[in-house]
Amino acid sequence: MDTFYYLIQNTLPVAIPLLLVALGGMFTERSGVINLALEGVMLFGAFFGCLCVLFLQNSKMNPQTVLIIGMLIAAVSGILYSMLLAFAAINMKADQTITGTALNMLIPAAVLLFSKMKFNSDGVTTDMKFYIKEVPVLSKIPVLGQLFFQNTYLTVFIGFLLLIIATIIFYKTKFGLRLRACGEHPQAADSVGISVYLMRYFGVGISGFLGGIGGFFYSVGVMNGNVNGHTGVAGFGFLALAVMIFGQWKPLNILFASLFFAFLRTLAYSVSLIPFLNSLNVNQAYYKMLPYVATMIALIFTSKKSRAPKAEGIPFDKTK
Amino acid sequence: MHKSKFSPQKLLKSKALSAFTAALLAIILGLIFGYIIMVIASPENSLDGFNMVLVGGFSRLGDVFYFATPILMTGLAVGFAFKMGLFDIGASGQYTMGMFFALYVGFMWKLPGSIHWIVCIIAGMIGGMIWGFIPGFLKAYMNVHEVITSIMTNYIGMYLVDMWIQGNSVMYVPSKTRTAYLPATAQIPSLGVANSNVNVSVYIAIAIAICLYVVLNKTTFGYELRATGFNKHASHYAGMNSKRNIIITMLIAGGAAGLGGAFAILAPSMITGSSMTYEPVSVIAANGFNGIAVALLGNSSPIGIIFASLFISHIQRGGTLAALFGYKPEIIDVVIAVIIYFSAFAMLMQTTVAKYFKKHRKNKKPESNANEEPVVTLNKEA
Amino acid sequence: MENYIIEMLHITKEFPGIIANNDITLRLKKGEIHALLGENGAGKSTLMSVLFGLYKPEKGEIRKDGKPVKIDDPKDANDLGIGMVHQHFKLVENFTVLENIILGVEPNKMGFLERKKAKAKVLALSKQYGLQVDPDALIEKISVGMQQRVEILKMLYRDNDILIFDEPTAVLTPQEIDELMEIMRGFAKEGKSILFITHKLNEIMAVADRCTVLRKGKFIGEVEIKDTNKEELSKMMVGRDVSLTVDKKDNTPGDVVLSLKGVTVSSKTSKKDAVKDVSFDVREGEIVCVAGIDGNGQTELVFAITGLEKQSKGEIALCGKDISKASIRTRSKSGMSHIPEDRQKHGLVLDYSLEDNLVLQRYWEPKFENKGFIKRNEVHSYAEKLSKQYDIRSGQGPLTIARNMSGGNQQKAILARELDKEHKLVVAVQPTRGLDVGAIEYIHKQLVATRDSGKAVLLVSLELDEVMDVSDRILVMYEGEIVGDLDPKKITVQELGLYMSGAKRNVGKENEHA
Repeated sequence: MDTFYYLIQNTLPVAIPLLLVALGGMFTERSGVINLALEGVMLFGAFFGCLCVLFLQNSKMNPQTVLIIGMLIAAVSGILYSMLLAFAAINMKADQTITGTALNMLIPAAVLLFSKMKFNSDGVTTDMKFYIKEVPVLSKIPVLGQLFFQNTYLTVFIGFLLLIIATIIFYKTKFGLRLRACGEHPQAADSVGISVYLMRYFGVGISGFLGGIGGFFYSVGVMNGNVNGHTGVAGFGFLALAVMIFGQWKPLNILFASLFFAFLRTLAYSVSLIPFLNSLNVNQAYYKMLPYVATMIALIFTSKKSRAPKAEGIPFDKTK
Repeated sequence: MHKSKFSPQKLLKSKALSAFTAALLAIILGLIFGYIIMVIASPENSLDGFNMVLVGGFSRLGDVFYFATPILMTGLAVGFAFKMGLFDIGASGQYTMGMFFALYVGFMWKLPGSIHWIVCIIAGMIGGMIWGFIPGFLKAYMNVHEVITSIMTNYIGMYLVDMWIQGNSVMYVPSKTRTAYLPATAQIPSLGVANSNVNVSVYIAIAIAICLYVVLNKTTFGYELRATGFNKHASHYAGMNSKRNIIITMLIAGGAAGLGGAFAILAPSMITGSSMTYEPVSVIAANGFNGIAVALLGNSSPIGIIFASLFISHIQRGGTLAALFGYKPEIIDVVIAVIIYFSAFAMLMQTTVAKYFKKHRKNKKPESNANEEPVVTLNKEA
Repeated sequence: MENYIIEMLHITKEFPGIIANNDITLRLKKGEIHALLGENGAGKSTLMSVLFGLYKPEKGEIRKDGKPVKIDDPKDANDLGIGMVHQHFKLVENFTVLENIILGVEPNKMGFLERKKAKAKVLALSKQYGLQVDPDALIEKISVGMQQRVEILKMLYRDNDILIFDEPTAVLTPQEIDELMEIMRGFAKEGKSILFITHKLNEIMAVADRCTVLRKGKFIGEVEIKDTNKEELSKMMVGRDVSLTVDKKDNTPGDVVLSLKGVTVSSKTSKKDAVKDVSFDVREGEIVCVAGIDGNGQTELVFAITGLEKQSKGEIALCGKDISKASIRTRSKSGMSHIPEDRQKHGLVLDYSLEDNLVLQRYWEPKFENKGFIKRNEVHSYAEKLSKQYDIRSGQGPLTIARNMSGGNQQKAILARELDKEHKLVVAVQPTRGLDVGAIEYIHKQLVATRDSGKAVLLVSLELDEVMDVSDRILVMYEGEIVGDLDPKKITVQELGLYMSGAKRNVGKENEHA
C-alpha cells in the first residue's frame, strides 16, 4: 500500500505539467492554430521562472511564495514567446509546423548560451526547497491525506485549480464558445461578427500562459527546481500534444490521459521499489520508452476516428 | 506596356532568384541577431567575434567539409521528404539508429579492412531505413500524422540505442560513459588533410546528393514524388499510388539520415589507435534538427542542400573559433534557429514576389478562375 | 409609391475578369415572398451576398424603407434586420443547436453564458413559428431539415425581419420542402419580408408573390407570379443569346462503350444519396450530354465513372469489361480519358511544365520511360507535336510552367493529353468553363471530331447552348436521378429548362412535380 501511495505521490507532480501544457495546446488548436512550439514555450517559462527563483532564493521569503512569483513570471514569458508563433502563423500565414520547430530549437540553444555565459553551466540550478512533506491538517485524512497531501508540491494544487478554471472558461463562457467556433468553422464565426484573428491570438496566448507555467512546474516538480539546456523538458512538450490528441481536445479526458502517461513514467523510475516488476528484470530503458510507445499506439487508434478541430492549421482567409 | 521586358523567361529566373534571396534574407536576419547577442555579451570583442563567424571557416576548410557531411545527409533526408509533402522531423532518430547499426557492425563483425567500413556504412543506412519506415508506414496506411510519430520514434530510438550500447560490453566503456574505440578497419579512410578528420565520406555524401538530384528530376519515381508534393489531387487523378510512394520516400529519407549517423561515428581520428566515440546520455541528436535548417536553406533541392550544409558548417566553425574572443559557440545554434524561423516566412515572401510578377503579366487576360493556389515550395499537411 | 422595404438599385459587382452583377435592380415589398431566379453563374448568390454585407459593390445603392443605407459587413446587415440562410450552412458541427443560434449574440452575465435564458427564448420562437428543433442536439447528428431550421432560428433570434434564403430546398426531401414553404408563408403573414434564391420553377410558382430574373449577371425582368407561368419564367431564365451552332453531321452510334447499371453514390454532405440508381449507355460515335443545374449529382457521377470515388451500389462496364472496382490507372489504360471539372485541382500539376503535364497519364509507358528514367527528349518532342496540333499557346513552349498559361491554353493542354492517348471513351466535364469564344469553338470542334472517329463521348455541361448544340442525346439529371432522355433535335431550350428544374420528367417514376 505504501508503494501505491508513493507511486501516486510521484505521479501527480509529473502529470501536472503535462496536463497544463496539453490544456494550453487544446486552447490553441481549438481556435484553429497548431502549436508545435510547446516544447520551446515550456522551456522558456521554466528558464525565466527558475531565474526568478534564483534571484529570490536568498531572501527570507516563504518557498511557496517564491514559487507563485516564479509561476507568474513563467506565465508572462510564455505568453510573450508564444506571440512569435501567433504572429508567424496568423498574420504571416507561415507554415505552422516549421515555425513551431524553429521556436523549439531556439530555446535550448538560447538557454545553453546564456547559462554558459553567465553561470558556466548547462542551465540554472536553484536551491529552493519547494517540497512539501505534509500539508497541515489535511494530511491526516485517511487515504486521501496520504495520496494528495503528503510528499507533494504546491504545483499539484495550483494545477488542479487551473484545470477547473480553464474548463469553466472553455465551456461556460461567451469567450470559450467563440474560441471553439473559430477552430471548427471560422466562416460561421466570421458571419456572425466574431473576429477570428483576435480569437486565435487569444488561443495562442493562453497556450503560452499555460505552457510557461507548465514548464516551470516541470522544473519544480520533476527537476527539483532546475533547468538544463541539454535535456530541456525531455519531450514533455510533445508528450503534451499526444495527451491532447489522446484526450480528443477535451479537458476531462486530457486530465486522465496526463495521469496515465505520468504514471507510466513514474513506474519507469520506480521499478526497483516494486518487487513484482523488479523480479521481471526488464531493462529500465523499456520503462522509459513506455510513454512514447503508448503515445504512438494511442495515435494509431485515435487517428481513424480522430475528431480534430476542423479548421486547425488552415490560415483563415476572409475571401473564402 | 509589358512586352518583352516581362517575358516568362524573366519570371522563371526570378522565381529561382527569389528562392535564393529568400534564403539569403533569412540568413542575414539570423546573423544580425547573432551579432546583437555578441554585442550584448561582450561589446568590445563583438566585431572581431562576428568577423570570425563570417570568415573563420576559411582557415579550417577541411573541418568545414568534415562537419558538413552529417548534416548534408540529414538535410537530404528532410529535403527529400519535403518534396513529397512530408516533414521528416524524425531525422534525429534515424541518424542515431544508423549510427548504432554502424557501431554494431564495427565492433561485432570481423571483416577485412578494405570492406569493413563499407559494410558498416551500409548497416548504418539500413538502420536509418528501418527507423524511417515506421512513421512512413503509419502515415500511408493509418493516416497518422508523421510529425508526432517521428518525434516519438526519436525518443524511442534514443532510449533503445543507449540501452543497447550500455548493455554491450564490447561496445561500451562504463568508466568513461562512452563507446570504446572502433577498430581501424571500421573507420572510414581519411583524406589526409592536415588538422582535420575529413574523410572519404564527404565524397560519398556529395555523390548521394547528386544521385538524389537525379532521382528527383530525371526518373519517373521522382516525377511522381514531386507531383504528389505539388498537388496530391492531380496525382490521385493520374492514378499514382500514394501509399507506396510515401513509404519509399520515408525509406530513402531514413536511409540518408542513417548514413549521416554512420558517417559521423565512423570518421577517422587524427590520434592513432582512437576513433570517434558516442556518449549515450539520452540526448536527441542535434544533427537531425540542423538537417531541417539545411533543407530549408537549400530549398529542399539536393544541390542547394550541399551548399547549405557547407554554409552552416562554415558558420559553426566560425562560431567555435570565436571562442577565442570569449564567445560561446552556442551562439551559432541560436543563429540557426532564428534562420529557420525567418525562412518559414521567407517562403511566403517568395510567394508574394512571384504573385506580384504574375499579376503584372496577367493583367489584361480575362480569367474567370479567380482563385489561384499560391506558389508554395513546401507542401504541408496539417 | 409602393412601400418597398428593401431596394437594391443599379448594383454592379465585379471580380477579377468577370462582372458578376451588372447594373441590377431588385425591389422587395414588405410582407412579400420574392423569388430570385437564374441559372448557375447568373449572379444571384453574389447579389444576396452584397445585401448581407459579405461583398461591397462597385456601383449602386441600397435603400431600406426608402432611405439609403451602408452595409459593410454582416453586422451592419443584422442591425438593419437582414438575416441570411446560406446555401452551405454556416453551422459549427460539434456545437448544439442552441450554441449555434446564440453564437455572436450570447446572453451573458459578466462573460458567463446564460443558457437557460437563451433556451427559453429559442423554445418560444420555435413554438411561435412552428419550427421544431431540439436545442440540445448536436448539429452533426440532426437531419438537414432541422439544420436549416436552426439557420432560420438564427435569424429569428436576432429579430431579423428581412429573411434571405439561398437555394433553401437544394438539400431537402419533398416533405421538408412543403414544410419550409408553410413556414415561409407564415413569416409573410406576420409581416416579414422574404427573398429566396432558386432555380426551381415549381417552388416559385407555389409560394412566391413576385420574381426577379437574372441571366449572366444582367437583370432580365420582374414579374408578378399570378400573371405568369413556368414556361415564361423558363424562357426568361435561359433566353436565347448568341449561340454557337456547331457544324455537325448526323451520326450512327455503334456498340456500347460505357454502361452504367444501378449506380448509386452517397453524398459527403447530406444523408441523401448524391446519385440515385442511375443506368445508361454511351455508344461509339455518340456524344451523350448529362445536363442539369450544378449540384444535382453530376460531379459525383463522374467521380464514380472515372474512379476518383467509389460508388456504393451498381456496376460500371467499359467495352464489356467490368470496371466497377478498377483503379483509376486501370480505367485509364482500358481506354477512358477524363477531362476533369476542376482543371487546376485535378487536371494539372500547375507547378509542372507543360510537357510534364502532357505526359501525366502516360509517363510510365515505354515511349516515355526507360528503366525508370524519363526520356526527356521524347517527352519534349511529344509536347511540341501536341502544342502544334492542338494550338496550345505558351510563353516558352513545352517548358512553360503550367501556372503561367492562360485558362484556355491550360484546358487545351488537358484536351490534347486526353484525346491523344489511346481511348475509347472521353468523359469531359464542363470543358469550356471560363473560356473565351474562340477556345470554346475549338474545343467543340475537337469533341465532334472525336465522336466522328468512332469514339464515345460523355459530356457533362451546365451551359444550355453547349448542351443543345454539341450533343446527340441529352440525359437530364435532377436530384441525383436521370429524369430525362431527350433528343436535342426534337426539343426546345425552354422544355429542357423544365426538365432541369424538376418540373417535367420522361424517365422512371410518374410525373410527380408538375
